[in-house]
Amino acid sequence: MPGKKDLYIESSGQVCVSCGACVGICPLNCIYLDEWRIGFDEEVCTRCGICVRACPVGAISIG
Amino acid sequence: MAISTDLKCDVLVVGAGPSGSMTAKWAAKNGADVIMIEKRQEIGSPVRCGEGISKSWLADVGITPSSRWINVEVEGARIYSPSEKVMEINEKHAGNEVGYVVERDAFDKALAIDAANAGTTIHLKTHALDVLRKDGRVTGVKAKQFGQKFEIHASVVVGADGFESQVGRWAGIPTNLQIRDMDSCLQYRMTNVDSDVRYCDFYLGKCAPGGYVWVFPKGDGLANVGIGVQVSKLHHPAEVRDYLDRWIAQHPGYAKGKKIDMVGGGVSISPPIKQSVADGVMLVGDAARMIDPLTGGGIANGCIAGKICGEVAARAAKSGRTSKADLMEYDRRWRAVLEEKLLRNWVAKEKLVSLPDETFDKIIDVLSGVRLEKLSVLNILKAVRERYPEVTQEFENLL
Repeated sequence: MPGKKDLYIESSGQVCVSCGACVGICPLNCIYLDEWRIGFDEEVCTRCGICVRACPVGAISIG
Repeated sequence: MAISTDLKCDVLVVGAGPSGSMTAKWAAKNGADVIMIEKRQEIGSPVRCGEGISKSWLADVGITPSSRWINVEVEGARIYSPSEKVMEINEKHAGNEVGYVVERDAFDKALAIDAANAGTTIHLKTHALDVLRKDGRVTGVKAKQFGQKFEIHASVVVGADGFESQVGRWAGIPTNLQIRDMDSCLQYRMTNVDSDVRYCDFYLGKCAPGGYVWVFPKGDGLANVGIGVQVSKLHHPAEVRDYLDRWIAQHPGYAKGKKIDMVGGGVSISPPIKQSVADGVMLVGDAARMIDPLTGGGIANGCIAGKICGEVAARAAKSGRTSKADLMEYDRRWRAVLEEKLLRNWVAKEKLVSLPDETFDKIIDVLSGVRLEKLSVLNILKAVRERYPEVTQEFENLL
């Protein structure tokens, strides 16, 4: 995606604890929690970084 | 058995946590045909909570305390200032997280059993994918179970889908939070720690900016050791974990413990939401931001509102009057019970998160030395004013 940095959500459970903190805080409602897996809408996400700060275990990175 | 056809009911509850089960139970008791869906395969698991609840409200909503879900009955809370001066608060005055330390998975299951016994049909491993709409009103949800998609049509849909609530957003009810109105939380269940089964402990100040560290004892050297930090005060990935690990490392009684479980989560510490209903849809519990913004406790408020939600939803569905105006009865009734305290505690929280550590120390120092007849903000301020008038200057209008 031109102009956008990569947002990476580690959703395999190796880091992510599937708590939904990122889902609840995302101002654009573009992160979703399936039963266990976290995903996000690449198009809608603006890489604002709020989810990175809200994640208690550091499973989300932008770079 | 997998569901292969569309379903229909009076009241559909999305989410089988305490608020959802309470809503389902009271809707069923009031004559509604109720379906409750839960995205996980097991109600109550994994636990996402500190597991502390107060006692006073349980009887009012029809919950009977049971040894199946009570670990420990505590006498009160201990509040630690940054320099670890400590004040004790009797359980009755300690807010809505102090009374019982519970086994949340067993508690949630007990409430779901109550809902089932009242007549609720429960579908596990069933996700809501979106709400169904007709002429601008919510008429059900699109759901998925075992890879199979189907629709559930309902006169009223109740979003009890927790902090990460989607139902409200899909239905156009604003539930967005500012980053200062959310705590990011992490908790370890630890064994071989020196917790005191008589108290739930809270540590305030820079160890947990905008939140606190909690230790809730579960008996036999087991305790939940957790932290909440205001998201606006977080700047680096995994900073919450770093805060908690640092606190544990600095406390030998906990540093020697062993972690057996890890829980993460988001907690809203916001003012009450402005709108909890829309045409054909209602929100309850964490989804409706009903968590007490001062204590972070959400179960009592969610269950109290859940009972009202169930009653109103049943009546609305049975009468076929499910517009926003009809469902406003629920909005008015839960506000009558909860809103004043939510607002007051939000104001108190806003003030507390701005206090420097020295001020916390002074306040706790004073309070540890006096016996307050009744624990109220006013009594606390008066006691503090006697020793540290400079601390209470900003509150003169209240005094």
